[in-house]
Amino acid sequence: MPNSSCPMLAVADLAKRYADVGRPLFSGIDFAVAAGEIVALVGESGIGKSTLLNCIAGLETADCGSVHIGPHALDMVRLDEAARAALRARNIGFVFQAFHVLPTLTVAQNIIVPLLLARVPSGEHATRTQALLERVGLAGFADRWPASLSGGELQRVAIARALVHRPALILADEPTGNLDPRTASDVLSLLLERVREQRAGALIVTHSQHVAQCCDRVLTLTANGLA
Amino acid sequence: MNTLAWWLIRAQFRTRRTATLLSMLAIALGVALGYAIHLINDAALADFGRAMKTVQGDPDAVVGARDSAGGVPVATINAIASDPAVLVVAPVIETRVRVNSVRTPVRLIGLDVFSAAAVMPWLLPRQDDRSTTGGILDGDVYASPSLLAKLGLQAGATVTLARGDREWLTKIAGDLPATGPDDLLLVADIAWVQERFGPNEAVGEGRVRLAPEVDLATWRTALQARLPPGLLVRAAEDDRTRVSNLSRAYRVNLNVLALVALLTGAFLVFATQLTAIAQRSTQFALLGVLGLSPRMRLLQVLLEGLAIGIPGAVVGLGLGYALAFAFTQILGGDLGGGYFSGSTPSIVPQPAPLLGFLALGCVASLAGALYPAYLNRVQPLAQALKTGFAQSRAAFSARSRWLLAALLALAAFVLAQMPPLFELPLAGYAAIALVLMIGVSSAPLFTRALFGWLAKRRLPAAQQIAIQNVAQAPLMAQVAASGLIISFALTASMVIMVASFRVAVDHWLDHVLPAPLYLRGKATPLPQELLDALAGTQTPFARIERSAQETLVIDPQRPSVALLVRELERDNPAARLPFTGPVVAPPADMPVVWISEPMHEIYRIAPGQTLRLPLRGHDVEVFVGGVWRDYSRQFGAVAIGRDDFVRLGGRFAPSELALWPLPGQERLASDWLAPWTDRYGLELADSLEIRQLSLSIFDKSFAVTYALEAAAMLIGLFGLAVTLAASVWLRARELATLGALGFDRRMLGRAVMVEGALIALVGLLIGLACGVAIGGILTHVINPQAFHWRMALTIPWPAVIAGALLTLAAAIVASRYAARQATRLPVARVLASAD
Ligand SMILES: Nc1ncnc2c1ncn2[C@@H]1O[C@H](COP(=O)(O)OP(=O)(O)OP(=O)(O)O)[C@@H](O)[C@H]1O
Ligand SMILES: [Mg+2]
Repeated sequence: MPNSSCPMLAVADLAKRYADVGRPLFSGIDFAVAAGEIVALVGESGIGKSTLLNCIAGLETADCGSVHIGPHALDMVRLDEAARAALRARNIGFVFQAFHVLPTLTVAQNIIVPLLLARVPSGEHATRTQALLERVGLAGFADRWPASLSGGELQRVAIARALVHRPALILADEPTGNLDPRTASDVLSLLLERVREQRAGALIVTHSQHVAQCCDRVLTLTANGLA
Repeated sequence: MNTLAWWLIRAQFRTRRTATLLSMLAIALGVALGYAIHLINDAALADFGRAMKTVQGDPDAVVGARDSAGGVPVATINAIASDPAVLVVAPVIETRVRVNSVRTPVRLIGLDVFSAAAVMPWLLPRQDDRSTTGGILDGDVYASPSLLAKLGLQAGATVTLARGDREWLTKIAGDLPATGPDDLLLVADIAWVQERFGPNEAVGEGRVRLAPEVDLATWRTALQARLPPGLLVRAAEDDRTRVSNLSRAYRVNLNVLALVALLTGAFLVFATQLTAIAQRSTQFALLGVLGLSPRMRLLQVLLEGLAIGIPGAVVGLGLGYALAFAFTQILGGDLGGGYFSGSTPSIVPQPAPLLGFLALGCVASLAGALYPAYLNRVQPLAQALKTGFAQSRAAFSARSRWLLAALLALAAFVLAQMPPLFELPLAGYAAIALVLMIGVSSAPLFTRALFGWLAKRRLPAAQQIAIQNVAQAPLMAQVAASGLIISFALTASMVIMVASFRVAVDHWLDHVLPAPLYLRGKATPLPQELLDALAGTQTPFARIERSAQETLVIDPQRPSVALLVRELERDNPAARLPFTGPVVAPPADMPVVWISEPMHEIYRIAPGQTLRLPLRGHDVEVFVGGVWRDYSRQFGAVAIGRDDFVRLGGRFAPSELALWPLPGQERLASDWLAPWTDRYGLELADSLEIRQLSLSIFDKSFAVTYALEAAAMLIGLFGLAVTLAASVWLRARELATLGALGFDRRMLGRAVMVEGALIALVGLLIGLACGVAIGGILTHVINPQAFHWRMALTIPWPAVIAGALLTLAAAIVASRYAARQATRLPVARVLASAD
């Protein structure tokens, strides 16, 4: 059950505008995601969903506002680049529409990367990886190369990678956009189950009605802010 | 963190095997050349030093005459011996004799065994039980084991020693066990040598061992003040400096070449790593998103560079050792430079230089990876993840680039006018580096201008797209062009310099070899009997000119200067000497000399000035009448007319003859000379042979240069291939899309090829311009400053243009390969894959 007393993500008064575009993309964005809560973010194409996600992850700099992440509620907006990277490494897991699995590392190595970045002791790597591979239905895939995997399998690898270091927050940008409906729904339920299991917060950008319905709450980004 | 770095490095090696290996090889080549040159030179110097020590011993100081024909009076030796500061003074006489009419004369050293034991123990004969030192005092001669081996003789053999037309029969009583394998020499008692070869009241040198508490510098200054002007006190230190001065410029020049090879290695690492980060920009962006710190994104690329550099440098060290070994076996310790002749030194690696060259290889690869690492560090993560490698738009405007190029050109010009620093053309080398920088920094201007102009033409659609691409995203094109600019500029400049030099040497040989025939006595005077016979009327010669050669010590820390005594006309020396400027008529009452160009530059003496020459124990003031060109004696030469020389007290003992046979009697002339050459081991050569020999020595000494040129060109071409392939790879999706839209793949391939050819053309044209400029600097700044050789610039256009066309052809092949790779990728897979 969502526990609103301890938000995994708290966004306050966030605003962003691109220098070469006249009016701000969004402003006055306020919302929170609690531990174990899964929030869908919808809105028409080009409205700024991905940009909002990037601002939360510290990949782009917001113009004003604050983004508090994780149990220690560090403010992403006020950190320098290195500290933002460290905060992402420990507290955020990502799932992308385009999978982004490193083609030159094996499946297991891909999943270990976040453990390395979060400086998890190497003794735990094998057991955690193995356990997660089983949880996402990829037992026996550890030593395969990504080139030999299907899209659905790749996205499961990406989900395992997003969860393996037990982050406080999962950010997903159209995680099922590249998959057929059947695989999409499999992958989605897998993602939701694992997120709830680990009591992380999740913010999922999606165009899919089905995905939105499966989430605990739906936020809609419009030209006038969140609704 | 280390695990991840290691995984990425391994992945990089696995997926880009060829590029990585070749970068490694280039670094290895640079390290190998530098290290080999270091090893060879070290070994040659050590060998030279050791050989000198065997013969000279290790005296604290040596008292000798400044001119090779002079000597130290016995009275002076006695006076020095009675100095309480002196423990021992060992008198020595050295001359050259022929043994059993073998052509090459060997050194005969006359010494006094008792004093030699203290100063030159390496020259003492073997002691056996029966006779201790009795043999040498009784007039026996001892030979070094290597000389015995060379002559096929054993101790106890009777030999004839000949010098000029005099011969002596003597017994070789034993050997000299402490001499080295390269020492071909004979040792006898000094009185025995004096009796046969003179002079009686003087010796060649006195080698001094001082009492332990005596301060060498003070003693030396005091003694020098007491000595007559023709004598000189040298310290052991001077000898070391002189030996190192001997090959210094040549060595530095080779080291600069090695540095160039290392720099091209760094460039390859640069091209490889730049394309590597471009190809993996989404991967690095992903890692950044996952939390890889910006510092690690920078470090990772540097680590990958180091992963190329360390094995490269290690291989290079091994290769360098092998090269050094092979080269000393083939060319000797001076790489064909002709400074330390006849020795095959042994190569002994020392730890400090080993580590130094290892570090150099690593620094080069790190330097190459620096800019790619920086680019990787500043990639905008979100954008790179979405659309791949983001090229920042030009950091400099075209105007500031022109300004930069103009400023650099000005700086290069100023540097090229500067005098040498530490007697080395350091400013000249800096000017060359600047010219290369101008070439590289102007590459964007030219690629943008050319491709911008082409983009406005009406061209086939595929061509248009390829050209548009370069105009929009010129980074890869600039890198590809830069590689060619550097490698072609260096190659062309070397070709230009060597050609200028060769043409100059060719002209010079015309001038210095006026006679059809030359007869030489190889460091021993010609027999008087022959000279008398030639003076008679029954000879087949129209004209004969005699000359002799001695050496003079002007500065004990520099190699000695040659004194050429020739039959020159006082008022028309230009008939025989190739003057570089006007000849100044001397005052009637003064002896006149004409100095060589190196002499003029090393000692800064100009025509019209006077010079003090050490001759026969005196300092004689002579008038400098002019400066003549001399490509054979790098450390200076003074030419003096025979009459002046004799008037100054010199004894004219000709050692070389220039002979003009009567017309139609050339065969007769050779036949007439044959018995003399056989009997006295003289050397007869016609000017054509000498000329060919000189040119072949010239070519041999540039052999290393040719090898480097070839390597530079290959590296440049490879850089082009790597960057083109990468730029095509980066556009694989674009090309595949075009293919899917219905473009003919062959047409697309051709468009990419044309793009590569155009980039190569820009690189070659800029490279050619830089090459001519650098060729000019090498010819007019580096050569005169390092070697005191001046010459006119000759550009061998056919060779240079042929080279450019060949490179262009190779570049087209390289881009064809890149295009093939690109269009061979299956469209579906490229379009489906996100990375
Ligand atoms: N670097 C940039 N500079 C200028 N404008 C940008 C930049 N990145 C995005 N934009 C603009 O900001 C707007 C929002 O883009 P964003 O990618 O956030 O949209 P989105 O809501 O994720 O759309 P979609 O659902 O299609 O993914 C777009 O109009 C886009 O053109
Ligand atoms: Mg989006």
